[in-house]
Amino acid sequence: MLFFKKHRSLIAATILVVISLIMLSYHVVNPSVEPGPVRKIVLDLAATMERGVNTPVEALENIWKRYLFLIGLERENRRLVQHNALLTRQLVQHQEGYLEAQRLKKLLSLSDSISYETVAASVTGRNRKSLHQTIMIDKGSIHGIKTGMPVVADRGVVGRVIETSGHVSRVLLLIDESSNVDSIIQGGRGQGILSGDGSSRCFLKYVPKLEEVRLGDAVITSGICGVFPKSWLLGTVSRVARGESGLFQTVEVRPSVNFAKLEEVLVLTSPKKGRND
Amino acid sequence: MIHYLLLPFFSFLFIVLQTTVFELLFLNLVSIEISLILVIYAGFHMDVLKGGLLSFALGFFLDVITGTIVGLHIILYLSIFFISMLVSLRVYAERALFILSYVFACALFECGVVLLFYKHIQGLDLFHKFDTVFLPQILVVTLVSPVCFNSFRRFGDILNVRVERSNKRSRNR
Repeated sequence: MLFFKKHRSLIAATILVVISLIMLSYHVVNPSVEPGPVRKIVLDLAATMERGVNTPVEALENIWKRYLFLIGLERENRRLVQHNALLTRQLVQHQEGYLEAQRLKKLLSLSDSISYETVAASVTGRNRKSLHQTIMIDKGSIHGIKTGMPVVADRGVVGRVIETSGHVSRVLLLIDESSNVDSIIQGGRGQGILSGDGSSRCFLKYVPKLEEVRLGDAVITSGICGVFPKSWLLGTVSRVARGESGLFQTVEVRPSVNFAKLEEVLVLTSPKKGRND
Repeated sequence: MIHYLLLPFFSFLFIVLQTTVFELLFLNLVSIEISLILVIYAGFHMDVLKGGLLSFALGFFLDVITGTIVGLHIILYLSIFFISMLVSLRVYAERALFILSYVFACALFECGVVLLFYKHIQGLDLFHKFDTVFLPQILVVTLVSPVCFNSFRRFGDILNVRVERSNKRSRNR
């Protein structure tokens, strides 16, 4: 007993270090383990408090945008009308293409287009420490979201869920360096792995030099690894470089989603019943 | 006893404030890790049990809230706390220049460990982010450290710190 009293500090220090080493080892060995109840509670509480802080900031931003930024509104309106006309033309073309593809699919007896059950979520926070490109969304395990589920937006793939608590989830974005998505270049059907560069771009890795890649080619999910459904837009080829050495070419891809302005996303939870993938 | 009960709540609030309000002050351009300065301050002024638990709790909440691997910042903060304790036994740690230099060294140490950990354990090379992400963070934390030390000293009663140790050293000098 006297020993414990005498060496109380040393024992406390040793216990703390041992506990932290065990925690670190456990999470290194099991990186994709579901968060425990303490972590879930902490994440939920932190998200609630962060929302409390962000609400007045967003309100101020809205005031700025709505009332003080009206100066360029008329010019912006003209530009948008022109842009709208252009988009309408493109939409008609795409609809034609879509209908043609549908007819061809029927002819070839291919499966119907991918259809998933979805959960809509709002982006409540962004990465804070800049080590990983992640966002927080306001839906969690009680809404049916699980680790590994793909997340998409209207313009294409956003990323995948890497952590969930009761009411919030963390999404690893495509542009993160640890994100890897099996992809296809739509034009030449060349395959590769799409990885982020940690800022705002992606690179398509392992594309052989013999493969023809053109600027503006769409890069889509291959659906091979099973995480992302097939044929979802990831981005477009923005730069191609064939170095003198090496087997592969450097293909830079501009993501189709603007991650800085992302507000709403869809989490694909499961394939719809009665439909094929 | 009340100290130990309040410690987790205080640490949680501190980390939430750090990741929301403090980052807003810097327009979300730089992540400012005030918790590191608090750990160093604890190393200079608190006993092993209280300071160790505070470092543990701060590291844990930082890991959970920022999505880092749980345990990484706990180990880092405990290491920095114990090193600071040892340093405080030999050095008079109240001068602004010393605080600046010491916080800079600790922030650099933390950054180095994080980068090496990610490179060798996770297989993720983040060294190219040193200039753009880590160095600005280190410099900002270093520059605000004397102000933070003063603030922590003022809130010393709440933190229940023991300032006798440093006072005694200054008298001896």
